[in-house]
Amino acid sequence: MSTIENYLAPSSIDDAAAALAAGSATIVAGGTDLMLQAGSGQKEYAPTLINIQKITEMRGVSLDGDTIRIGALTTITDLLTDEIIAEHLPVMATMADKFASDQIRNAGTVGGNICNASPAGDGIVPLLMYKAEAVLASKPNGSTETRKVPLDEFFTGPGKSVIQENELLIGVDIAVPPAGFVGGFGKFGPRPALEIAMAAVGLGGVVKDGVISDVRVAFGAVAPTPIRSAETEAALEGKKLDETTISAAGEIASSSISPITDIRASDWYRRHLIRVMTEEILNDVS
Amino acid sequence: MDQIVEKPDTLIGKPIPKPDAPDKVVGKTTYINDMVLPRMLIAKIKRTDRVHAKILSVDISAAEKVPGIVAIATAENSPKGLIGVLKDNPPLKGDKVRCIRDEIAGVAGETEEAVDEALKLIKVEYEDLPGVFDPEEALKDDAPLIHDDKPGNLSLTFDFEHGDISKAEKDSDIVLEEKYELHYVTHTCMGPGCVIADFDTHGKLTIYTQTQYPYNYKMDLAPALDISAGDIRVIQPPVGGAFGSKLDVYPFEPIAVYLAKKARRPVKLFFSREEEFIASPTRQPARVYIKQGAKKDGTITFRDVNVYLNNGGYTSWGATIPAVMMRTMTGHFRIPNVEFHSKAVYTNNPFAGSFRGYGNVQATYVTATLMDKMAEELGMDPIEFRLKNAQKPGERTPQNSLLKTAALADCIKIGAEKTNFLEKHAANVAAREKPGRIRQGIGIATSIHNAGGAKIHKSDGCGTILTMDDYGRATVITGASEIGQGIDAVITQLVSEELGIPTSDVIIANNDSAIGPWDVGVHASRTTFIAGNAARNAAVKAKQQILAAAARQSNVSIDKLDLRGGHVVQKDNGVSVTKLDRLLRQMHFAGDDAELVMVSEYYEPPSELEDKNHVGDISAAYSHGAYITELEIDTLTGGVKLHKMTCVQDVGKVINKLGIEGQMEGGIAQGIGYGLSEELIIEEGIVKNPNFRDYKVVTAPEMPEIECHFIEDDEETGPFGAKGISELPCIIPGASIANAVYNAIGVRFDNPPITPEKIVRALHGDKIEAAE
Ligand SMILES: Cc1cc2nc3c(=O)[nH]c(=O)nc-3n(C[C@H](O)[C@H](O)[C@H](O)COP(=O)(O)OP(=O)(O)OC[C@H]3O[C@@H](n4cnc5c(N)ncnc54)[C@H](O)[C@@H]3O)c2cc1C
Repeated sequence: MSTIENYLAPSSIDDAAAALAAGSATIVAGGTDLMLQAGSGQKEYAPTLINIQKITEMRGVSLDGDTIRIGALTTITDLLTDEIIAEHLPVMATMADKFASDQIRNAGTVGGNICNASPAGDGIVPLLMYKAEAVLASKPNGSTETRKVPLDEFFTGPGKSVIQENELLIGVDIAVPPAGFVGGFGKFGPRPALEIAMAAVGLGGVVKDGVISDVRVAFGAVAPTPIRSAETEAALEGKKLDETTISAAGEIASSSISPITDIRASDWYRRHLIRVMTEEILNDVS
Repeated sequence: MDQIVEKPDTLIGKPIPKPDAPDKVVGKTTYINDMVLPRMLIAKIKRTDRVHAKILSVDISAAEKVPGIVAIATAENSPKGLIGVLKDNPPLKGDKVRCIRDEIAGVAGETEEAVDEALKLIKVEYEDLPGVFDPEEALKDDAPLIHDDKPGNLSLTFDFEHGDISKAEKDSDIVLEEKYELHYVTHTCMGPGCVIADFDTHGKLTIYTQTQYPYNYKMDLAPALDISAGDIRVIQPPVGGAFGSKLDVYPFEPIAVYLAKKARRPVKLFFSREEEFIASPTRQPARVYIKQGAKKDGTITFRDVNVYLNNGGYTSWGATIPAVMMRTMTGHFRIPNVEFHSKAVYTNNPFAGSFRGYGNVQATYVTATLMDKMAEELGMDPIEFRLKNAQKPGERTPQNSLLKTAALADCIKIGAEKTNFLEKHAANVAAREKPGRIRQGIGIATSIHNAGGAKIHKSDGCGTILTMDDYGRATVITGASEIGQGIDAVITQLVSEELGIPTSDVIIANNDSAIGPWDVGVHASRTTFIAGNAARNAAVKAKQQILAAAARQSNVSIDKLDLRGGHVVQKDNGVSVTKLDRLLRQMHFAGDDAELVMVSEYYEPPSELEDKNHVGDISAAYSHGAYITELEIDTLTGGVKLHKMTCVQDVGKVINKLGIEGQMEGGIAQGIGYGLSEELIIEEGIVKNPNFRDYKVVTAPEMPEIECHFIEDDEETGPFGAKGISELPCIIPGASIANAVYNAIGVRFDNPPITPEKIVRALHGDKIEAAE
């Protein structure tokens, strides 16, 4: 049985990185994934539990030049009310509005959503679309270092990512989207609230004179990790957003993926939903 | 000056808050799951991970050594008595396991951590046996035998015949033949399974339990314990829901008792949420083959029903649902010729218990969708066809249910009028031909249910003792259990109405078998009717005793006196003759003439047991309902959005407005879940979704607007005219939704729940469609 022997609540990134350097630690943020996984035996606590909630510098959204930083401890609720998000990354707010329930949104964090690395992690889908980069901190040789990993290289499988045992996600960096950038997020589950996605789509691009460019398309819950869809992007890049383009893009979107069949949905239905939502967003932005 | 007491407004039909509500809202209620007794141990169950296997050995030696472990019960070291409706279930399994919920051992210890550790260390060796999971497969000659003494895997059968169905079939102009596959759902009580067992030094047992039937519970529990039923005291603390799931003794209860006996300490055994999904009973799934015929003019000629019930590994109440299912199959609408045959067949699935609606949820899904299909086939509208076959007041069904009031036609007519049904129905059908992603649907379903108790035991009675204290307060000791459904509020209301005292002056004592007189239990929509009658009759007796004393004292004749506002008054002018509390003291402290107001009543409803051919008027009253659903469907995602449910129900009389609304809304939420989203997915005997993430209960945003129209036709045998009302709200919605779905998209689903994926597949086949 795994028992927690030490509990730490560092108040700075530096202290947290130092604590992680000692090894054998589990990070807890909102706990809305971790506590359930530990409770069901899916995950075991390491001997040291590090509560990162006191690291205030890791919460909130900031704009520095052309770069937006979403701190890892920013809650899903924060995304709904933040002005920088509303102005520059509105699809994050659309996503937050389809996320869980108020209670979970108040506790759950963006960093937790990323590090949990669920194929159905809703927050990850628009972040992929916004070409976010994960910012990771560690303290290997006595001084704190950071490295950046583009989010589309971050995930390696269900629940798995490139994050190392001694690393902490401090946030994600996103370049302010170019002028004219519009996007959308779609998620489907049978219930309007408190629902895990059967499929999710984040799609955006610069639309000018009816033509879409700088296209980014991301899907959730249809592959072992949330993914970008290069094929769908290619089918749209530089095209006029008319019925033919939209329908062709929808078809490519659904045929470019190979989702699993499980108790929540069949592969067929997931591909169908991806097509419907992809076309829906394209119709919205056209 | 004479004091005049104005006649107060009647309390009947008023919204009376449940007396237990404020404590629940502020978090003060101690639910059974919260209870802690001094020196109490924590206990859990080691379950099997096989669906059908011989047990070769159970090794508890390592588990016993875990620090803090006090007792471990196994089949070998525990009493051998059996439980269940057919006494086929050993609480602890020693020879073989028959389904995934099977209990191998109970472990009691000082802490939950110690118990968890010990559970992991119990080693069980098995020899796997071939499994069978389908009732029709399990009937085959070469199917694995699940119980050695149950040849052919047959558990319970029900057979009913009336008239001549083969002749009727020949005389029919049309015949429809359908197959329905009705799924597993479960109760999802907010409070998971929990029991506390405690022996006193005389060897008498007090059991704190979630049971819904405290008195017969003793009788069912005792054989498993090697103690006499009379030595068991049943206490029912507040629970987080039951809905029928606590109407039998289940293995965890005797296991807790074995552990308490071994440990000589109180033991609390409780379920995790996952365990609640796996190891509490489900609603009975059913495969129904049904044939129905009619004449061209819409007259139904016959019904022929064959049902296969997946019994699971053991027999609880699930296997008996035909008793109720049959009443609807044979008696809902005028069916001149009818046969009903059912077989419950052992398999290696988990097993079903009773669940609000008891077989009628399934029967109504089948009959109400079949009625719609047949109307269309006949070229009649769904209202006209139903009205044509609705019984009239005074008719009897083939099983001899006497439909005294028979408000069926009224329910249908009012529902159709209030919703403008026919116009919308036709418009939606026409709209199906036009392009458009969103489709609107309207559908109606009706049913009938017992509303004056249900005589399935030799008595369907309830005992009540009523005493008045020296301050004018009434204590009602009732056999009826309060399990959250609201009977305390109803009894309070009935008694204060009769005695002319404020509701705050009525005290209810119940939920303790050492105190309350006998009652069958909370089931069959019976408590307001039966316990309500018992309480009211007791109050009438108390009133007579009080008025007689007042008459003697005041020289006003008894028929001119009444109780009002805490006074004895003259009926015609409200002039106070004496204050009630003063009179009660005078009666009580009257030397040799002393009398205490202390009366009792055992109410037995005027109903009869079924004979061996299933004929008998089992309820003192029946109630009908017609529910109309309006919804829309996104034909691309399959998403269903419910707009409104208009519910017309014949309730006799509304007693507590808040209570009836609560029962309606809660039942409807469960009924919607049955129709649209809830399914316990069981594959090869394994429960695949034992959690609220993947078992989709209805949440607040999905609830439609609910509009209720209560037909108050004053049931002559009910308390102040009331009938039992609480199962129909759960019974009808699923079928009503299915009919509305058909109206919207022209597709029938004979296999609920009607999930978005099923809808999309039905509409698009395996094509992936573009959005318009
Ligand atoms: C009822 C319910 C509904 C839900 N609905 C949704 C939904 O609609 N959509 C959705 O996507 N998810 C949903 N979730 C999942 C969960 O709420 C989210 O994934 C949430 O964002 C997790 O954040 P957290 O802060 O609670 O993570 P935690 O549980 O604290 O952590 C999750 C994992 O990430 C690690 N971790 C956390 N922060 C860091 C960090 N900064 N650096 C390194 N590692 C870190 C932890 O060690 C852990 O392994 C739901 C959960 C519940 C219980």
